[in-house]
Amino acid sequence: MTQLTLGRVTADRDRLRRLLQDYGVYLGVAVLLLVNVAFTPHFLSAENFRTQAVQVAPVLIVALGMALAIGTEGVDLSVGSVMALATSLVSLYLGYGPWIALLVAVAGGLVVGLANGSLIAFVGVQPIVATLALMVAGRGLALVLLPQLKQVHDPGMAALGSGAVLGVPYLVLIAAGLALLTAFVVRRTTFGRQLLALGDSRPAARLAGLPVRRVLILVYAASGAFAAVAGVLATARLTASDPTSLGTLMELSAITAVVVGGTPLSGGRVRIGGTVAGAVLIQLLTATLIKHDLPPSWTQIAQAVVIVLAVYAARERGKR
Amino acid sequence: MKPISSLRRTSARALLATGLITSLALVSGCAKSEDDAAADKKPAAQGGSGGAAAASGTGAGGRTCTLDAFGGKKLDLKNATVGFSQSEKEANPFRIAETASLKAEAEKRGIKLLTANGQSQFSKQISDVQDLIAKGADLLVIAPLNSDGWQPVLSSARARHIPIVTVDRKINGTACKDYVSFIGSDFVEQGRRAADRMIEATGGKGELAILLGAAGNNVTTERTKGFEQRIEEKAPGLKVVFQQTGEFSREKGQSVTEQLIQSKPGIDGIYAENDEMGLGAVNALKGAGKQPGDVKIVTVDGTRSAVQGIVDGWIDGVIESNPRFGPLAFQTLDAFTKGQKVPQDIVIKDSAYTKDNAKADLAKAY
Repeated sequence: MTQLTLGRVTADRDRLRRLLQDYGVYLGVAVLLLVNVAFTPHFLSAENFRTQAVQVAPVLIVALGMALAIGTEGVDLSVGSVMALATSLVSLYLGYGPWIALLVAVAGGLVVGLANGSLIAFVGVQPIVATLALMVAGRGLALVLLPQLKQVHDPGMAALGSGAVLGVPYLVLIAAGLALLTAFVVRRTTFGRQLLALGDSRPAARLAGLPVRRVLILVYAASGAFAAVAGVLATARLTASDPTSLGTLMELSAITAVVVGGTPLSGGRVRIGGTVAGAVLIQLLTATLIKHDLPPSWTQIAQAVVIVLAVYAARERGKR
Repeated sequence: MKPISSLRRTSARALLATGLITSLALVSGCAKSEDDAAADKKPAAQGGSGGAAAASGTGAGGRTCTLDAFGGKKLDLKNATVGFSQSEKEANPFRIAETASLKAEAEKRGIKLLTANGQSQFSKQISDVQDLIAKGADLLVIAPLNSDGWQPVLSSARARHIPIVTVDRKINGTACKDYVSFIGSDFVEQGRRAADRMIEATGGKGELAILLGAAGNNVTTERTKGFEQRIEEKAPGLKVVFQQTGEFSREKGQSVTEQLIQSKPGIDGIYAENDEMGLGAVNALKGAGKQPGDVKIVTVDGTRSAVQGIVDGWIDGVIESNPRFGPLAFQTLDAFTKGQKVPQDIVIKDSAYTKDNAKADLAKAY
């Protein structure tokens, strides 16, 4: 009798854990929203939601690429440096007009991503090492190209950074579009299946005849391109190219968003909805602490607590 | 199997190499920035040009140093070799102007100047200074990255009686024994002057926000201390209601200010502890639909973009942190090597920009 109830309790607890792992991040966002509505002055305004959405957009775009890399049981540490490289390239090529500058910047991100992917797929370097190398090299190259902050005067770039359609800023539209695209690719395309399969077990994927190398290269190329887009958008928002500080610690914010969103670091699973919610959660947390003028170190501690909670939930799931 | 995999590897390497080389060629070959497109040539003179006006400094504390007390022999600065060790890459206006000022003054006086850059790595700066000594520098000007850890260099310099002047940061050691003089800004005083400017701009009433610099940095603590003290003393009607770090970067300054104006739309003034964060705040105010002057902004540093911000009406005051150490440093070394008394602590004169002088002095800003 007692055994039975105990079994049921464990089963219930298991289910609760699984629910918490799958939907905990949405719960977190909901709780933070409620807390802010109750305690933060002027929180319930369109203007405020726009601000939060615009601030989270670059982080989210980087996190989407990161989620793909993590889905293959890898990671991309070079994303922050790719943002810096993109901002330098934008500034260097703006003379040809904003579209060319944007294309060159994204191409630069693609090249870094291809280099990452080649090192990982062909040379067999661990993702953390390969992308660490390009993280260092990318920032260096960005600073060689543009040694110091430079103002951007191009009206097209300024419009990209602050313009809106029907009250929704371009930055938010682009981030949302890329999130939908990524979710579609992961869920509905062969490439998405292959990505998840090789994240689950690379030997099995290879034995099954999947194009492991091609998938790996494409994943890191996508991550590089996404980071470059984020770099361009951040440049437009700032109306300045600042390769010294743009994107610093971005890799950590992106990994946090992905992990908090419920994508396991062990690969084989990519949760795009969760990643979006993870990025929003971190943004709201930071905003809450800033708006209430709490010491900045608290933000870092609060973020750490959220990460530990998320990883704890993931650990329980893995054990089962 | 083997040939295939090695072939693949070679092709992968070739791919990588081609990719990188193509991108580099692309990047360096056909870049065309906005300036190139507009073909507007900015005046080339930077930093060094405004130096002469800011050459005056005052000795603080009154303690002095002489050649007799330090040891060593008189020499004519004109025939001497001076070594300058810069701490950080010349990637921000301050460092660019600082190095340019020393070079310009050396050239003006016809002195041979050797330079080195520590690239923000302390170990590199230490070996830089040792190199400068080995290359025959008779005198040293050092912009130290850290205050501590200089003993090995100081003792080898002392053994050769090489006088050292440190600029913008201090070296922890005994003045007139380990080094001759320190020339720098008074960051607390910069905070006080920023407060005076803020009191004037706001009329001494209202709510203020502070965009703090990077945490754990003495510039941040001292600029905050001076500002808060002065506000408390002179304007009890002004309340600091918000203090968040913008980490000295424009992006963080903008993000934090966006949060600020949403939760406290009635904020009257923002004190930014460097120009970059202040310019970020201006971006945020523009984005929120505020007009120039709605929120008073006072910043510290004196970069050209911030002074332009005054001209445009968005910024109310910029307190300068003077990077032009060249004239003072060489003046000090000249006097010292002639056997005259020089102060151990020299405070460089920082000017300030308001709407009265911003337009006229824009060229002086670095």
